[in-house]
Amino acid sequence: MFAVLSPRFRSIENVQNMVDAAAVLAVVTCGITFVLLMGSIDLSAAGVMGASALTVSLLVANNRNDNDLGLLGIGVAVLLGCAFGCLSGLALVLLKVPSFMATLGVSAAGLGVATLMFAGVQPNVSDAMLKGWAIERFLGLSYLTWIAATCILVGWLLQRYTRLGRYAFAIGGAEEVLALSGVRVKPYKVAVFAVAGAFYGLAGVMVTSQLGAGLVQAGSGYDFSAITAAVVGGTLLTGGRGGVLHSAVGVLLVVVLTNGLVQIGVSPYWQGGVEGLIVVAAVAAAVIPQRRRNQVVK
Amino acid sequence: MSVPASTPALEVRGLVKHYPGVTALDGVDLVVRQHEVLGLVGENGAGKSTLLKALVGLVVPDAGEIRVRGEAVKLRSVVDAADHGIGMVFQEQSLVPNLTAAENILLGGEGPGVRRGVYRWDAMRRLAQEQLDKIGSNIDPLVRTDALSFADRQMVEIAKVLRIEQRSQHPPVIVLDEPTSVLEAKEIETLFAQIRRLREFASVVFVSHRLDEVLEVCDRVAVLRNGQSVGELAAAGAVPRELHRMMIGSTGSDDHYHENAAAVVESERPRLTVRGLSGTSFQDVDLDVAAGEIVAIVGVHGSGREDVCRALFGAEPVTAGEIRMDGKKINISGTRAACAAGIGYVPAERKTEGMVGPMSVAENMTLAKQRSRCAGPFVAPGKQAAVVDRWIDRLCIRTPGRDTPIQRLSGGNQQKVVLARWLVDGDIRLLLLDHPTRGLDIGARSEVYRLMRELAASGVATVLLADSLEEAIGMADRILVMNDGRVVSEVACPAGGKPSPLDLVKEMV
Amino acid sequence: MKITTRPTVVLLSLSLAAALTGCSEQAAGGGGSADAGGCQPADVKLVGQVRNESNPYEASWLTGGDEFAKTVGLTQQRLTYGGDSTKQQEQISQLLAGDTKCLVMNVLPNGDSDTAPIVKGADTAGAFLVTQWNKPADLKPADYKTWISHITYNGVESGRQIGDALATAIGGQGGIIALQGVLDTAAAKDRFAGLQESLTKNPGVELLDQQTANFSRAEARTVTQTLLTKHGDKVKGIWTANDDMALGALEALQQAGRAGQVAVVGIDAVPDAVKAVQDGSMTATVSSDGTWQGGIGLAIGFCVATGKLAVKDLPAANRAFFAEQFLVTKENAADFAQPKTNPSDFECGNVFKRVAGALT
Repeated sequence: MFAVLSPRFRSIENVQNMVDAAAVLAVVTCGITFVLLMGSIDLSAAGVMGASALTVSLLVANNRNDNDLGLLGIGVAVLLGCAFGCLSGLALVLLKVPSFMATLGVSAAGLGVATLMFAGVQPNVSDAMLKGWAIERFLGLSYLTWIAATCILVGWLLQRYTRLGRYAFAIGGAEEVLALSGVRVKPYKVAVFAVAGAFYGLAGVMVTSQLGAGLVQAGSGYDFSAITAAVVGGTLLTGGRGGVLHSAVGVLLVVVLTNGLVQIGVSPYWQGGVEGLIVVAAVAAAVIPQRRRNQVVK
Repeated sequence: MSVPASTPALEVRGLVKHYPGVTALDGVDLVVRQHEVLGLVGENGAGKSTLLKALVGLVVPDAGEIRVRGEAVKLRSVVDAADHGIGMVFQEQSLVPNLTAAENILLGGEGPGVRRGVYRWDAMRRLAQEQLDKIGSNIDPLVRTDALSFADRQMVEIAKVLRIEQRSQHPPVIVLDEPTSVLEAKEIETLFAQIRRLREFASVVFVSHRLDEVLEVCDRVAVLRNGQSVGELAAAGAVPRELHRMMIGSTGSDDHYHENAAAVVESERPRLTVRGLSGTSFQDVDLDVAAGEIVAIVGVHGSGREDVCRALFGAEPVTAGEIRMDGKKINISGTRAACAAGIGYVPAERKTEGMVGPMSVAENMTLAKQRSRCAGPFVAPGKQAAVVDRWIDRLCIRTPGRDTPIQRLSGGNQQKVVLARWLVDGDIRLLLLDHPTRGLDIGARSEVYRLMRELAASGVATVLLADSLEEAIGMADRILVMNDGRVVSEVACPAGGKPSPLDLVKEMV
Repeated sequence: MKITTRPTVVLLSLSLAAALTGCSEQAAGGGGSADAGGCQPADVKLVGQVRNESNPYEASWLTGGDEFAKTVGLTQQRLTYGGDSTKQQEQISQLLAGDTKCLVMNVLPNGDSDTAPIVKGADTAGAFLVTQWNKPADLKPADYKTWISHITYNGVESGRQIGDALATAIGGQGGIIALQGVLDTAAAKDRFAGLQESLTKNPGVELLDQQTANFSRAEARTVTQTLLTKHGDKVKGIWTANDDMALGALEALQQAGRAGQVAVVGIDAVPDAVKAVQDGSMTATVSSDGTWQGGIGLAIGFCVATGKLAVKDLPAANRAFFAEQFLVTKENAADFAQPKTNPSDFECGNVFKRVAGALT
């Protein structure tokens, strides 16, 4: 539809542009998908990404200190994300805090850690490799896009071929059955949150690469966009259905939508509303098959 | 590790389990011999489910002992039980719907199917296939479980339970809890063949409400009453009435279906006339039900009878055909229209569609009234309470009070509340009953049957999707047979001139 | 000027308010009343309150407050409320519940509607207050005794200044795109109105497209990328309603391989933007001088609290006013690169030197 309304929309540059714009969201969505598959929800992306963005920008070459750890710094940021994910998971299984609250709390903690590291002066990244991720291209797509594609592949392999991924599905499908079959569910739950956290950590690094600076707000808005993308792609909030590939399609839909509205020149004053309506319509279309038998939606 | 053939596979001695205010098990004894199918029967509340839970480690008994192949064991979890070779096929199926059959079969014990957390789908398929081969099932192990039929899922479940053979290195004891309650006649036959096959390499405990089935498939039957073992008998030569007597402590009424109370069919007063009704899973259905008549629709799973029933209530889309109530054409576009036309519907899924668990008996009983326009003026709360109490009384609903949450009632009493919902209005003209006695014990069933007779006598027309062929034959005045979405024949079924189940089965398949 | 923000939009590096209060602990020189204090300088308590320190602009504001406090031998209590209106009110109530005799508050209200309760609370408690950026038009310091001043900036002016600078940079000819702020804020509206004034004055400049990027660096990057693909080489300049968006646009240009070919302007003069102006990658930005804002609110309050200024003597133009702002270009960027305060700005005779016009 957008292709008809705007010839520019179809242009190769715009397709490149859209795929590049989808990269960070795709990585966040990849992580959140596993949590949604379990039937939990994860709102920690914004905080974890902020903390990871600040961490990486302070560990690679930057204008605030003399660190120049390069890849190691990136690894530390991803591990930090993983640790935050662990924290969410542990709060869920040990303290029985609902995932909604646990992850919201972890998000706040992440933002707090990020603000502490920020300390009033924005760290600008001068590390050539990290900055290069957003600028250098391979086969027409930025390195970040290739990283995102790798994440989707890894996510799909996790989901298809590992016990972690399969059990995430099973937990969303029928948790009590797992317990009846003698499976210890808790460690898997924590692990799923940890994996999701690592994805957010990487996403924080990617945002830092794009913006050339570590921002506390690096992840702002990504939590809800990712949930939207996952749901639009057909991953159910009740768990057990969907998957990484579904979510990847959802990400593309969401990005195409935002890009398309700008391309055809919808007034910015209207865009928010139009976008919301289209998302609701898309989700409604996705659940029509389930509505046939008078089901109740809560 | 050989065990003498005479040693029982499983032995229960003096098992006691108290719950606050209730003694669920009061010194139960039970012996399961090697390679035998043991039936376990008892009315609801007799302690069957507590006993089964104790056998698989979900309940730890207060006293008594459980011996497996002569050895006393303590079972503290499902895993413990599995290690000793005891496994259970749960009444509510315990499969993860969104995983493949292979994963479900191997769940929690994937062995070489998963190496270092990574799945080897080839190995998974092979291991699962081995299990399925044992029971002669030809299900594709890599198909998702929710894409399978109920009967196939049950096969998967049995295959899953058989995995415990590997754990204990002994012939397993398989407990089947109410496996037939939602199966159609043909599927039940398949299941029975399966059980006979299981006997070759396992012992089976078979629990069912259907006494005829128990006698058909079991070698021996043990009876529980009020948490105690009240006896056992060899299945060969026994008749259901004998079992029934042991269960309730006296000879039950011969007239289980209250055939003597059958209402006079006012055939000159057609209540419901359906012509050429078609929908997604049924075509060209004609159906007439007169006032006071009970018409049963029978058919195997997939025959479309449930959908016809739902369509009459406006809960399933209709593509063609007309529906008349008392000669007047009605346009049932939704449940509200059906409700307004005096049609009541008791769904099969009582727990999800028939009632609101946490709400009180009174609220559940008057739900239809509040949510639709079928009733006239509002009933004042005081008056409403009186109405509710009257029906609690009339239907002998056993509840502490009208404000008790319905989920705390037993299945039979829940069903009576659901039925009462359509009776409080008084202007009900057609009742659609979808498996109204599913999961109820004999006593509760009998009461539901009596209620159906009373309603028919008051001129209500009834469409019944019976839980078993016997029930259909026992209750109906006329039986329609559906196959593959069409009505294939109609059999008269008056009191005193009942057809045999075999005649019907021939038409159904 | 009015600014309202949603709590989530913490990127908003615009608003600022200062509140100062002081009370006469003792009638020094016989003149001490609540509105013309007679506090000993050492008894004055200085409080600066902003949304968060993770925003360079608001952080510089607190720095300015500290520097002023140092000149009078005091320390500033730094408060942040994370863009949460409720939290801001709680912090204020806590302050006012304590000793308010010589309390001086320099407050950035979260939004217009948050100003009234702060003003009324301070007035009742007799605390000296200076607010900045946000206030409803009908709420006036002149009607209160201890609400000394409200300081804000003319957004239309800044929008026009950078619009003109952009037009000059592209030689008065060619297409530009505009990135707006959060659309329902007064800052975004005023600044965009300024751009439109500038466009009328420069007929050769064509506005190709305008989109919102919600004052966010990340959003600005994405939107700029999209608009660059849409309009291609026609884009000669990018006007943005704040520096965060300008920096996002710069990243997008770099990633599109067009760094240095497109002129970019912003507002706020955050350190990174000033640096970018200095090295030529950005054309211009506008400084409201955050460190000055942080210091001046406390300075005005301190002067009143210690009796060096009296509220009743202040002309109307000093009670609510637009403060002077500065266009930062390559020529003068060095002066803004290291945010610094000039102690003489905070002397009681100079505190109203930067009044650029009365707020009506």
